[in-house]
Amino acid sequence: MITRRAAAQLVATTAVTAALGAAAGTPARAANKVVKIGLDASLTGADAQSAIKVKDATQMAFDAANEGNAVPGYTFELVILDDGTATAGQYDPAQAATNARKMVSDKDVVGALGPQMSGAGKAMTPILSQGGLATITPSSTNPDITNPKFAAQYRPAGKPIYFRTVTTDAFQGPNMANFFAEKLNVKSVYILDDSGAFGVGVADTFQAQAEKKGMKVLGRDRLDPKAPDYTTILTKIKSLNPDALYFGGVSQAGVKVAKQSYDIMPKLIRGGPDGTYGSDFLAGGGFPAVEGWYSTIAAPHLIDDTKASQFVTAFKGQFGMGADDYSITAYDAALVMIDAVKRVAASGKPVTREAVQAALMTSKVPTLQGTISFDENGDLADRTVSVFQITKDASKPLDDSSAQYKYLAVAPQS
Amino acid sequence: MTYTDLLLQQTINGLSLGAMYSLLALGFTLVYGILELINFSHFNVFMIGSFVAMWTLQMFGLSGQDVILAGLPLAGVLLVAFVVTMGFCGGLGVVIERVTLRPLRNVKGPAAMITSIGVSYILFNIVLLTVGADSKNFPNPLPTIRYQIGGATLDFRVILIWVIALLLMGALYMFVQRSRLGRAMRATAQDQEAARMMGVEVDKVIMMAFFLGSALAGAGGMIFGLYYNFTSFIIGFTAGLRAFTAAVLGGIGNVPGAMVGGMLIGLIEAMGGQFIATAWTDVIIFSILVLVLVFKPSGLFGRVAPNKS
Repeated sequence: MITRRAAAQLVATTAVTAALGAAAGTPARAANKVVKIGLDASLTGADAQSAIKVKDATQMAFDAANEGNAVPGYTFELVILDDGTATAGQYDPAQAATNARKMVSDKDVVGALGPQMSGAGKAMTPILSQGGLATITPSSTNPDITNPKFAAQYRPAGKPIYFRTVTTDAFQGPNMANFFAEKLNVKSVYILDDSGAFGVGVADTFQAQAEKKGMKVLGRDRLDPKAPDYTTILTKIKSLNPDALYFGGVSQAGVKVAKQSYDIMPKLIRGGPDGTYGSDFLAGGGFPAVEGWYSTIAAPHLIDDTKASQFVTAFKGQFGMGADDYSITAYDAALVMIDAVKRVAASGKPVTREAVQAALMTSKVPTLQGTISFDENGDLADRTVSVFQITKDASKPLDDSSAQYKYLAVAPQS
Repeated sequence: MTYTDLLLQQTINGLSLGAMYSLLALGFTLVYGILELINFSHFNVFMIGSFVAMWTLQMFGLSGQDVILAGLPLAGVLLVAFVVTMGFCGGLGVVIERVTLRPLRNVKGPAAMITSIGVSYILFNIVLLTVGADSKNFPNPLPTIRYQIGGATLDFRVILIWVIALLLMGALYMFVQRSRLGRAMRATAQDQEAARMMGVEVDKVIMMAFFLGSALAGAGGMIFGLYYNFTSFIIGFTAGLRAFTAAVLGGIGNVPGAMVGGMLIGLIEAMGGQFIATAWTDVIIFSILVLVLVFKPSGLFGRVAPNKS
């Protein structure tokens, strides 16, 4: 008898091997029932490059599952929705809410992946919760969404529906504060955020832990991500002479902070969360302005890991683009979803939203980042935050995140 | 950094921002003065200017911050880039006027303004869909020369930006005040019908206003790129809205008013960020706008427009 665990392992392995077989045409199995999985990502705007990687990695997992007939009798169909709008220039919470409505109103959609961004997640969860549709996010890290304290807001229907294959800013912010204090010996810091749900949240948690660590927080201000000019606030920061600057936010404001802070304070220690990790940030900020910038990601560093190397090679081969750590968490999210559907199908019950949500709660899925399981709120059991520093490697493309971000360490836990 | 140094530094920051707002505000004012039309496509002509400038500089082999020029080559490259950018944007302005706004010239109400919003969105989305959404690294061929004034730093590029902006604004002012076509523009602004009866070719004058305004927006876009070393499809909105505010603050339709208004908005932004918080920038700017309009509806330098019938 095949245990659940072994079965899941088989799925993961076949998924990877099938993907390695390159040609990823999805054979139409007319007799199969179609299981639709929604995917919400920020394909328009400043974060488009990371979004494309999320989409590609997810597509890769489902193609492999279909090809390898991972769930006998069922074919997966990915419904891709874009929450970025031209007017916002990045993710747009209103568009995310519209996408959530679209997913919920399509009865064949039994599970979802995404969103990438916490601001989108906050807009989507009330709708997903009412519709009973569970989603797995590969990168959104705002802790409020899964915090039982805010259940009335983000899961009004009661059950946890927001699962993550990354940890949250409850760890990303504070662990970076620990890293600043313990490893970089920072005594005073100025904190900026980009007004977004994610940016404000991660800056808040960083600030709280920085104060606890005895760091002097010299000030906190908020940036308009669409405004071109931050020299005013950066001049003010220079006059306060801090050891470090922490920026909570994503790349739209991030690249300008990197550029202008380099002009005004070239030697300052600067860092940010995963919003400052990726090729968008490298290309927009450019060297030398981004040199030395510290970034975290809310996941273990896997790209150099042997387990992930097969995936990385296959990804590069298929899409011609280097994978990053969030491509892996996206791939993992898809594996977890496939596993849940598989277990529901194997039990003989109809594959419904309710059954998929219940299956997700008891996930124990071997993935590229290790075995994924969730706590009672849908948060990832593993809480690793990794720290990187941008260090120019002139031999590689200057916007290749896997080459220009040098992995330093796991950030110290509190 | 002493307190005085800090104030000085913020003044420098504010005036650099202001120079850009002024150039942009002039375009609003020129067109409004003549047509009483708020031309929203101006926002994104500015944005396209920054891209044209970037591509022109890249054609000279400049990319990123790696190639630094000095002396004559620098002056030559910048001159060519400014001429190409301003020519392209000026032409774009003329095309926008000819194709989308002239047919609506005699339509009463907000139709023309709404058309200009539409054109603005078209330009915006064309750039988004063709060059992509990510921020582009704008080439910076300017050498890093920094002057210390006490604790404040004055960059060479800031001086260059001031000089270029002042030259352009001065040239425009002279043109409007002294040249024949300038006189025709002023006449058209006062009374289109009377000007036409006096033999002014009104269509040509309007075309000229669009050309000049858009060319200045193009120059503003290039200055934006040189100053911030990045550009993106989204830069037109915040800058455009603040420049529009500057034009209204100075008295819309009034050329020196737009220049002073731009500088004021730049300074308000810098000082507001220093003494209150950057998060409050828009609240501060627009509160001042509201106050000025309540107590002096025609703006700081404007006069109440004569009743046109």
